[in-house]
Amino acid sequence: MAARILRLWALYAYLDGMWIARDFRSFIFYYLADAVTAVASVAGVLLLAQRFDGIPPWTRDQVVFLLGFGMVARFVPDMLGNYNVLHISRRIGRGQLDHILVQPQPVWMALLTEGFAPFWGLLSLAPGVGLMVWAGQRMGLEATPPWLLAFALNLAGASAALTAYAALWGFAAFFQPRAAEEISGSAVDLMTDLKGFPLDALGPGLRTALVTVIPAGLMAWYPCRALLGLDHGIAALWATPAAAAALCCAACLTFRMGMKRYAQVGSSRYTSFGHRR
Amino acid sequence: MHRSDRAGTPASGTVVECRSVCKTFRQRQPSERPRDVLRNLLHPRFRTIEALRGVSFTVNRGEVVAYAGPNGAGKSTTIKLLSGMLAPTSGSVRVLGMDPVADRTRYVGRIGVVFGQRTELWWDHPVAASYEWKRVVWDIPRERFDRMCGVARDILGVGESWNTLARELSLGQRMRADLGMAMLHEPEILFLDEPTLGLDVLAKRSMTRLVQQLSATGSVTVMVTSHDMNELEQLAGRVIFIESGNLAYDGDFASLRREFGDLRRLVLETDSATPPSLPGAELVGSQGMRHEYRLGGGGADVAALLRLAGEQCPVLDVETHRAPIDEVIAGIYEHWGRNRPAGTA
Ligand SMILES: Nc1ncnc2c1ncn2[C@@H]1O[C@H](COP(=O)(O)OP(=O)(O)OP(=O)(O)O)[C@@H](O)[C@H]1O
Ligand SMILES: [Mg+2]
Repeated sequence: MAARILRLWALYAYLDGMWIARDFRSFIFYYLADAVTAVASVAGVLLLAQRFDGIPPWTRDQVVFLLGFGMVARFVPDMLGNYNVLHISRRIGRGQLDHILVQPQPVWMALLTEGFAPFWGLLSLAPGVGLMVWAGQRMGLEATPPWLLAFALNLAGASAALTAYAALWGFAAFFQPRAAEEISGSAVDLMTDLKGFPLDALGPGLRTALVTVIPAGLMAWYPCRALLGLDHGIAALWATPAAAAALCCAACLTFRMGMKRYAQVGSSRYTSFGHRR
Repeated sequence: MHRSDRAGTPASGTVVECRSVCKTFRQRQPSERPRDVLRNLLHPRFRTIEALRGVSFTVNRGEVVAYAGPNGAGKSTTIKLLSGMLAPTSGSVRVLGMDPVADRTRYVGRIGVVFGQRTELWWDHPVAASYEWKRVVWDIPRERFDRMCGVARDILGVGESWNTLARELSLGQRMRADLGMAMLHEPEILFLDEPTLGLDVLAKRSMTRLVQQLSATGSVTVMVTSHDMNELEQLAGRVIFIESGNLAYDGDFASLRREFGDLRRLVLETDSATPPSLPGAELVGSQGMRHEYRLGGGGADVAALLRLAGEQCPVLDVETHRAPIDEVIAGIYEHWGRNRPAGTA
């Protein structure tokens, strides 16, 4: 099974590469636009941190690390699923699940592999990693193996939380194919617009809401607090992965229910737009 | 053909089995009146559509079956049920001994599906890349892949669009590429829903040739829907008609003609603009001195009619031909339309 996943990833990487090679100019254009958006999305917080020498209780370098973490947590799902799972409501709402159902593989395997676009993702990864490394060096962060493990777990958790949250909303399209067609995209925006802010200054109610109802806090704020020692409890290190696992379970269960329903009612709508690039 | 990896399937016998298959859908029926906005929101009205009402049929291995019926009869719904995209509301669907929905992953590797209005091609990639994609995802052995690419190129003429981006193909070129792609894994059963949409005469002919070639091997079963009856009659030995979700006819085209009136035509050219009156033949129309008659069922005595006409005026030329199948079908549809109980969809 792992071999098949790797083979499929290689295939989609090849298609992605072909696409870029064929239309290199538009790729550069898209990439520049993406880079500008990425910089713009962190610029505000970065300037604030610079001006006030940090956003208490976060130091300036910690804020930079948080921003880098948020970017990377965003780009992993982008690389694996921007084209499908992050926008699953489009697939469902446009009646395009049928194209997955005719493939002789489980639906999850198709969803896991089909969105793989490494060339888009890899390039966008660089600024986030750069910010984190730079801030880490200035803070004198010791990347011991246990810390790296915790880091990887939390990063995976943040990515998974974003993906699962987008998917969870997306399943609304099983019921309202037209109205909910773009709902996953809105959920992603909701999560990522808030991901760069240290949320400590908020009241406890809002803070709780931002790691549960709208779990944007899981994208960077909560995991970085734990990773950078702003929250000393060992439980804090596990909170993000655990929350992400719960979200993923909820998403899987909901999706199964949605697919059961889909087999009964089918899709009353079909547009071919965007199901194959 | 190589079937070594398809163990466990008998070489003949029933491959498709539908038993009392019903499929109902609910369709929202919003009122267009502004004052009903709130009601549409709180108490939306629904209409239940019985797309299939207890359809039963079986198809044997190697058969080519035409699946026909008026718009909204339930053809596409049947194809979706057979290809594992939809589950029946009641009744059972079994194909190749499997339940298309429950055994989907195993099942769809052995069938091919083409929906004329949809494409499986990658939009921004050349056709060749889509074929390569299919090879990997379907795990097609290299030898079979190369052979079937050859078939797609030689018979369907996909070669000319091999390196063209799918989005730049014309409708017919795209359709041919899609058909070729559906064939790559050498499916045991092909479900084609309006596969000749947008094809020109030559392309239709090559499509027909391909299906005939496949069915000649005796191992490929084909079920094809279309609104082009001539094409269906050429393609298929057997036709299943479905009307308002009911199976209305299942048999060969010859018996269909017999059963629903084998409307033959008699054209007489005389030296007069007044058509001879022929009891037993119904005048369809006259153009100058050409008079066209519709003859009843198989038993019309053409010789007697000619004698009768000759007594009234000199007959210069005679033609007889069978009514186009389209006309037979139009007659059937009209008949159904008149007899349909009010209120059914
Ligand atoms: N997903 C769906 N939701 C609601 N109603 C549906 C759905 N799919 C099909 N129907 C209805 O079921 C009936 C049969 O539709 P179907 O698409 O099978 O017809 P068809 O025979 O393929 O017609 P055509 O020749 O126009 O393609 C139609 O009345 C249609 O409105
Ligand atoms: Mg149809």
